[in-house]
Amino acid sequence: MHALPVMSQWERRERMDDKVTKRFTAGDPEALRELYQDFSRPVFTVAFRSLHDRGLAEEAVQQTFLQAWRAAGRFDADREIGPWLYTIARRVAVDLYRRERRHQVPDPIDRDIAVLPPSFEGAWAAWEVRTALEAMPEEEREVIRATYFAGLTHEEAADRLGIPIGTLKSRSHRAHRRLAGMLAHLEEATA
Amino acid sequence: MRCDDYRAGVLAGEDTAEMRAHVDGCSPCTSLTAALKTGHAQLADPSFWEEPSPELEQQVMRLVKPVSKSPPDATRRSPRRLVAAGLIGAAAGLLTFAVVTGLTGGSPDWTVAMSGTELAPAASGDIQGWTEQSGTRLHLDIEGLDPAPDGFVYELWMSDGAAIVSAGTFHDATAVELWAGVSRATFPNMAISLEPLDGDTTPSGQVVLRIVDG
Repeated sequence: MHALPVMSQWERRERMDDKVTKRFTAGDPEALRELYQDFSRPVFTVAFRSLHDRGLAEEAVQQTFLQAWRAAGRFDADREIGPWLYTIARRVAVDLYRRERRHQVPDPIDRDIAVLPPSFEGAWAAWEVRTALEAMPEEEREVIRATYFAGLTHEEAADRLGIPIGTLKSRSHRAHRRLAGMLAHLEEATA
Repeated sequence: MRCDDYRAGVLAGEDTAEMRAHVDGCSPCTSLTAALKTGHAQLADPSFWEEPSPELEQQVMRLVKPVSKSPPDATRRSPRRLVAAGLIGAAAGLLTFAVVTGLTGGSPDWTVAMSGTELAPAASGDIQGWTEQSGTRLHLDIEGLDPAPDGFVYELWMSDGAAIVSAGTFHDATAVELWAGVSRATFPNMAISLEPLDGDTTPSGQVVLRIVDG
């Protein structure tokens, strides 16, 4: 059995990101649109799991990309843009959490030193899994989505996706192997 | 069992005798197991799969288009410079508003409720905003706030958490029209403070109304 082309996929994505990042730092709004399409779901995932509110999470997505746009001229295009966007997204989520907490904790001193709730823990892992999913082939991502999000059995997922059950099982296994390979670097973060 | 298959199994939430036998003798897989179990927990969390609404992309792009003719600033401006810019923007905005008022109307793009602080506990009301190409037109309707005493004015501030921009001053809070050179999307926090007429353009900190959350 041959190893899956995980690295080549990441290399292709990084090359693409490199071009987009350079256009983004030069002020090209279409580059921002491309970054939005690549990263809006991971940003939303981080915000939604932290804030537990769809409206606030969407506000966080909006603020994250607007703040990134305003700071684009200061971003070093040789750096990876994903971790930078994650940093902005998390900070925006924290700010929104504290803003919402304002009326629950009227004392501004208490408000500023308030400890973040557990929902903010593990945000980086969620970001990594979501960005890895976004980089996967669409057909594999759909299989994973069907079995986890929709909670379908293999038979139900095969029926919904219109593929034979054997194809679904092999595609699901291939998708999990690819995703596991993409997440191998998390070993360092959790070790 | 191959390492790839073991790792795929852990990520899929499986736990078989064959997998346990593999990991017992495989140090790399042992050290990766915790991360993969975390990954499985993420996938199994329904909130993980929630997505932003499709129209949000256009909302974001609409907000950046007006400033897209020139590259974003390469230098960070100080809050005080932003206050000065905000005051200039407010002055220009007031002039523009004098021209366009009556020509534009309709429902506001957003409305926020405001409540009085301990400095003005009887005050309450709301602020309506219309997003325009050069900034935000604002209408304040506040009740229970006495006119500013002699030597003072009220001032509306918009902040993004780091920078703060003035949206203009007023004396009597009934049906006030103001203008800000920034949008609420980027400067979401708002407050009204009591400011002495002393030439200092920075906020006094005497906040009389704040946004009501939720």
